[in-house]
Amino acid sequence: MEARVGSDAKADCLVVARQAERASVAVATKNRNLLETGIRAVAEGVLDALGKPGVVVEVQDQGALDYVLAARIEAAVRMVLPETKLTRTEQVERAMSDPARPRRSRLYAPGNNPRLLVGIDIHGADCVLLDLEDSVPPGDKTAARVLVRRLLAAVPFPDEVWVRINPLDAGGREDLSEVLEGRPHGVCLPKAESGEGVRELAEELGKVERRLGFGVGSTHIMPIIETARGVLRCEDVAEADERVVVVAFGAEDYTRDVGARRTDDALLFARSRVVAAAKAAGVQASDTVYADLSNDAGLADECARARDLGFDGKGAINPRQIPILHRAFSPSEDELAKARAIVEAAREAETRGLGAVAVDGRMVDQPVLERARRLIKYAETLANGGAA
Amino acid sequence: MTRNALGREIPGKIGSRKAVPFGGAFAKVSTGTKAPRPQKVAPQHEDKVLPSIEAAIEACGLSNGMTISFHHSFREGDRVINLVLDACARMGLKDLRICPTALFGIHEPIVGHIESGVVSRIEGSMNGPVGAFISKGGKLREPAVLRSHGGRWRAIEAGTMEIDVAFIAAPQADPYGNATGIRGKTPCGPIAFQAVDAQYARKTVVVTNDLAPYPDFPMEIQQGWTDYVVVVDEIGDPASITSGTLQLTNSPTNLLIARLTVEAVKASGYFKDGFSFQGGAGGLSLAATKFLGDEMEKAKIVGSFGMGGGTKMLVDMLRRGQIRAILDGQAFDLDAIASLREDPAHVMMDPGMYANYDSRGCSTYKLDAAFLGATEVDLDFNVNVNTHSDGQLLHGIGGHQDVAAGAAMTMITLPALRGRIPPIVDRVTTVTTPGEVIDVVVTERGLAVNPCRGDLRERFRAAGLPVRELGDIKRDADRYIQPVRRPVFGDEVIAAIEWRDGTVIDVVRKVEGWQ
Repeated sequence: MEARVGSDAKADCLVVARQAERASVAVATKNRNLLETGIRAVAEGVLDALGKPGVVVEVQDQGALDYVLAARIEAAVRMVLPETKLTRTEQVERAMSDPARPRRSRLYAPGNNPRLLVGIDIHGADCVLLDLEDSVPPGDKTAARVLVRRLLAAVPFPDEVWVRINPLDAGGREDLSEVLEGRPHGVCLPKAESGEGVRELAEELGKVERRLGFGVGSTHIMPIIETARGVLRCEDVAEADERVVVVAFGAEDYTRDVGARRTDDALLFARSRVVAAAKAAGVQASDTVYADLSNDAGLADECARARDLGFDGKGAINPRQIPILHRAFSPSEDELAKARAIVEAAREAETRGLGAVAVDGRMVDQPVLERARRLIKYAETLANGGAA
Repeated sequence: MTRNALGREIPGKIGSRKAVPFGGAFAKVSTGTKAPRPQKVAPQHEDKVLPSIEAAIEACGLSNGMTISFHHSFREGDRVINLVLDACARMGLKDLRICPTALFGIHEPIVGHIESGVVSRIEGSMNGPVGAFISKGGKLREPAVLRSHGGRWRAIEAGTMEIDVAFIAAPQADPYGNATGIRGKTPCGPIAFQAVDAQYARKTVVVTNDLAPYPDFPMEIQQGWTDYVVVVDEIGDPASITSGTLQLTNSPTNLLIARLTVEAVKASGYFKDGFSFQGGAGGLSLAATKFLGDEMEKAKIVGSFGMGGGTKMLVDMLRRGQIRAILDGQAFDLDAIASLREDPAHVMMDPGMYANYDSRGCSTYKLDAAFLGATEVDLDFNVNVNTHSDGQLLHGIGGHQDVAAGAAMTMITLPALRGRIPPIVDRVTTVTTPGEVIDVVVTERGLAVNPCRGDLRERFRAAGLPVRELGDIKRDADRYIQPVRRPVFGDEVIAAIEWRDGTVIDVVRKVEGWQ
């Protein structure tokens, strides 16, 4: 039996594993003199940790980082000898994140594509979302799981890192049991359609957390509403479990599901429902991705409208979209100045014993004041790098 | 063996010449006079046109052991170097020294000429396959000598490098020897890189595929310098001058670096009316130039000049009125060549004007900011663009030293993580450009400021930019890769790297083993 994992793309490696009497490693690289020793060390480390199984491993390197090499080798060996288990794993230190932290951007990265995964942590996304679902072909799921687990263990993400799993009954359980070891801050549930589905995921998470010795409840959930049924039941979804901290909307699947064209009008109902459901449950709402990479102005427009509707952030398919998202979903200097003026006026009114007060000719009532305070606090949180 | 100011071991002699160790970027004091030029006289009613390269070789009296020179404006599309060397081989010439302004992959046939003894020495520049070949050691009679654009010009003027015959590929020329690179059937951009060769060489041969009626003007190469004109079918393919470096980068990492570079420029204090910068080719530089243009537009800043290699990106900025002039030594695309022909504000300059240490002024000294690449950078900010981390000599210096030394703020843009081979190292394999003239290193994991530029560091910090120690950025990147092995160098010197003033900043030695 032979297994091939990885590819000959840049930043990846192709690993071929075959059953044999005893473990051995062969390395091919364009820079043999410089790199062979290092690659061999990684390979032997992985085989050691797997209990030196009887497998011949051939590595063809294209500039893969250590964790990519290790993931490819581990996945190949486990595909040849499915009973093989890691005899030791690294403890991943990653603290649970603040449920209310800013999530202006959620950056998708395909879980089996090292070229796009390497450096995914450096673009300043509030949430990085490692995808095991739509971007990973069915035959690559195992390889992607191992790669995502190793990446989570290797990279100290400065902000939040999430994993989008497959539907629970279509590989999602296997996803969880593999990648939770890497301690992602949260798990995205695609095509969420019922409170029941969310609770099922929460229960599964609890089991794995207990097995791994993590605090039960430490992993957040982000349900993604992207079907007609999901839109109609999104309040159940948002309220289903304490773990839900943000509800995301996915327009691509939704428009397909209902047979709509992707226009603002067609999406308005779904978007509004998602926002209302999230806010009723006291959690954040995140808008769908914007697919036209070449149209920065179009993205900025869509961000502005999403923010007007009440969304707190939006998906990104490429790091270059992040600065635009962050600008759109952060309070502007103008808004902040107004908010400060309102709070100041209210304070003055209170000390002088006045009831109502006006700023720029507009009445400041309790909701307006509350909103201004929230905006200022949010800006402070952002200035603090996301820590409340 | 002595150690130069950077602690690099330099032999007493390079070939037959005494080696002067590098003493600092601006340490050398130049005195005396430049070398004399050959006396030439033109008979009346002379016909300078010869029927073939062979005829020109014959007429010039080229013989064994002599030196011939070339320019690189056709880059990967050049035909003339191979054409001339093949003719030399056919005529049984041996032991030639070649002195190109640069070599490219297309010049791989030189390897064969070295093996057969036609070529035995190389001065000027070295790229790609020829570099890889001589890195094996024992291939050349004397170590190769690599010089920057300005350094090459200076060495010829100083008489250090004497040229017997300059062969000048000219996309258009008249029968009396006036020649240009920006007109003709196959324009390649300015050929003024060889204006100094044309004046100092014993004989100068213009090789063209487009003979125009006299007078062909304006010209980079003048009739008074030219001995012979040869017409051939093909001198080069202008489609190849771009060398595939004119695509804006798509890499998120490089885009991030380009953006951070421009943020740093904005915060540097140099970003105001009259701002000047050097752009260059390569996906990352082009992206940085584009973002810079966007920011200049937003801030309504009009720059004094942009320095090339000329590209469409710079030309567009000139047309939009964002810069008052382009100063250009070479063209990296056909838009730049067209603009050089049509726009008086697109100014052609030779390396003597833009980069010569022994002169009363360099255009690079008027630069506020420059973005340059690197193969390696070390913790002392020294930069290597010549050798690969495995010790192989693979690239020329180009204008790297000249621009880095000149610009008020020299920024090295490079990813901290580039596959499995670390670009930030404790000590560069070869020093091309000393850390004292490098101000900022911009990576995707933050930017590092040379400790001697506390002013910049403060400005960047105040602007909220991610200022970090170079060592910390290195540690961040190194955690993802096993250490690479390092070459162990023997005694044989493959090549000398000259600083732009003619002192030796480093040598490349033959790799003997691995540690």
